[in-house]
Amino acid sequence: MKRFEKARSFVTDDHRYVFLATSFVAVIGIWFSMQRRSAMSFLRGAYSVEVAMYWFLMAWLAVSAIALVWKLTHWKGDAYQKTSPFTTPVGKTAARLGSYAVWAITAALFVDRAVMGFLAVVNDSLSHDKNPSDFLSSIVYMLDKSYGIIGQGILTTVGLSVFGTLIAFVLAILLVFLRIQQIDRSDNDAVRFFKVLGCGFAKVYSTVVRGTPMMVQGMLIYFAGFGLLRNSGMTVSEIGKVWSTFVAGLVTISLNSTAYMMEVLRGGIEAVDPGQNEAARSLGLSQWQAMIKVVFPQGVKNAIPALSNELVVNIKDSSVLSVIGVFDLMFATKTVVGIYFKQVELYVVATLCYLFLTMVASWLLGKFAQRLSVEPQPLTSVSDMNATVGTVAGTGSSEYSLDKKKAR
Amino acid sequence: MGLDNAAVEPLIRVENLRKSFGSHLVLKDIDFSVNPGEVVTIIGASGSGKSTLLRCMNLLETPDSGHIWFHGEDLAADRVNINRLREKIGMVFQSFNLFNNKNVLDNCTLAPVTLKKMSKDEAEAEARKNLEAVGLSDFINAPATSLSGGQKQRVAIARALCMKPDLMLFDEPTSALDPEIVGEVLNVMRDLAAEGMTMVVVTHEMAFAKNVSDKVVFMDQGVIAEQGDPKQMFTNPQLPRTREFLSRYLED
Repeated sequence: MKRFEKARSFVTDDHRYVFLATSFVAVIGIWFSMQRRSAMSFLRGAYSVEVAMYWFLMAWLAVSAIALVWKLTHWKGDAYQKTSPFTTPVGKTAARLGSYAVWAITAALFVDRAVMGFLAVVNDSLSHDKNPSDFLSSIVYMLDKSYGIIGQGILTTVGLSVFGTLIAFVLAILLVFLRIQQIDRSDNDAVRFFKVLGCGFAKVYSTVVRGTPMMVQGMLIYFAGFGLLRNSGMTVSEIGKVWSTFVAGLVTISLNSTAYMMEVLRGGIEAVDPGQNEAARSLGLSQWQAMIKVVFPQGVKNAIPALSNELVVNIKDSSVLSVIGVFDLMFATKTVVGIYFKQVELYVVATLCYLFLTMVASWLLGKFAQRLSVEPQPLTSVSDMNATVGTVAGTGSSEYSLDKKKAR
Repeated sequence: MGLDNAAVEPLIRVENLRKSFGSHLVLKDIDFSVNPGEVVTIIGASGSGKSTLLRCMNLLETPDSGHIWFHGEDLAADRVNINRLREKIGMVFQSFNLFNNKNVLDNCTLAPVTLKKMSKDEAEAEARKNLEAVGLSDFINAPATSLSGGQKQRVAIARALCMKPDLMLFDEPTSALDPEIVGEVLNVMRDLAAEGMTMVVVTHEMAFAKNVSDKVVFMDQGVIAEQGDPKQMFTNPQLPRTREFLSRYLED
């Protein structure tokens, strides 16, 4: 509301700003009017209207220039306000209406040249029976012919990254429990042994997975699975049903992401104030109970921003899985490139698709994180407190008093 | 064992306790005991080992050697079931350490429900009683993070009391509070002492040490330099080092 008010006063109150800002808009309008008309231009048949629009914009520039000169020559005190015809009520109203007209004309020219021009290109390239040589037309032509392939690629990429991240999150929670185990005094030998074993496994897993490229991991997992099933006597077509490239890719991305997410979770858990754990232990809670009830919930909350980033990373990194033949966006793009041999055009399309996916993902995750971290407002400042024990202190307590009454 | 004290069995007895951090010996063969119902304050300069001694008494720090006898068991022994013994020892921290992911009531009921197999209702009734005693019954649904320092510390005391401990340890409970708020926490502790709770308090509040405690322990460089009746300590300390430390508080 405040912003709207500000904009209103900017546009209506002070006409010099109206002239300055609107002159800029007028220049853009003039530039559009000098562009070539497309086949779908609705101003095509109305040449005189366009000429009138053009000259109106030019006149606007001239009037603005006059106002500016007037201002420059009458700069002392309020000389400008007193002498200029532009500051009279009539002049102001005229200037305001004129500026509306400039905006309207420029908008009309924008739609005519830019929007209709783009639509004309699209329309034109759709009717082609050969791939046009023009960059934009060619993109439109190829998208029209192969949107099914690209669409399937996008679906696969989204599926891989979303399910992969979810599976990895569950696995990472299990693994981080192993990773943070420490030997406690009351543990017996068997518990100590399993804690050392679990922690060691988690460390080795993390080192191996984070120290090797996902492309290599994908290859290894796919062919290892393939080999195992082949040895068990399955035919290639049977294997294809169980161990498809998509399944292999999903396994790869899940196992890979698990290691990264585990480290993120560990960081979040280690960032929790050690006093939280000490307080829980001092009450008699075991290491496990203190972890589950006190430390872990706070650690996960700390880690949420970095965890959600992992989905964005997976959207991008799933592209390397195209080497094992997962039909993701990258593989789909390569397929279409193979048909048309238009590398730059198609990889621009792939770039925009990935960018769109990652931006949507981070936007959604941002919303999600916002909802999770609603910080409670402080009830009372220290100075509100009454130093006497036993009396209810602080006016800010009313909210919680109400809660209590409701509870009763 | 002090033969003169043979009539009363100490609630907790520390024997030859040693603790070092790296090569720095923080506690040098500490011997000291607390009788049931006694309020003992530990005073001393920063770095004299008083907080470490307190934290050893519920094994938040693991001693290098020595014994801590409590209910007939040695807390310092390897593989003792420390969790069960800690249920009987309440601890209040300088930095409050309320569970930030829970509200005031859940802070108090978490341990009783988890460890004592109490029903939620029983634990809540007990928690309400204790929160009322510390003057916070209107805040039971408030998130722990929303309270002021003095309120947090009072909740921390109530939380420890909910486990019905035999012994309460206070680790500089008022050091993180501003002077105006110190009183509200000390009053709660005074009430607790009057009810007969056994307490060990590490503190810089000399007025509390003098007026409330039954015994004052003065620590210096990892040893108990002097201990005794507060009246005697604050009027006529035996050692020059004690006299120097207490010079501002001595009555002449």
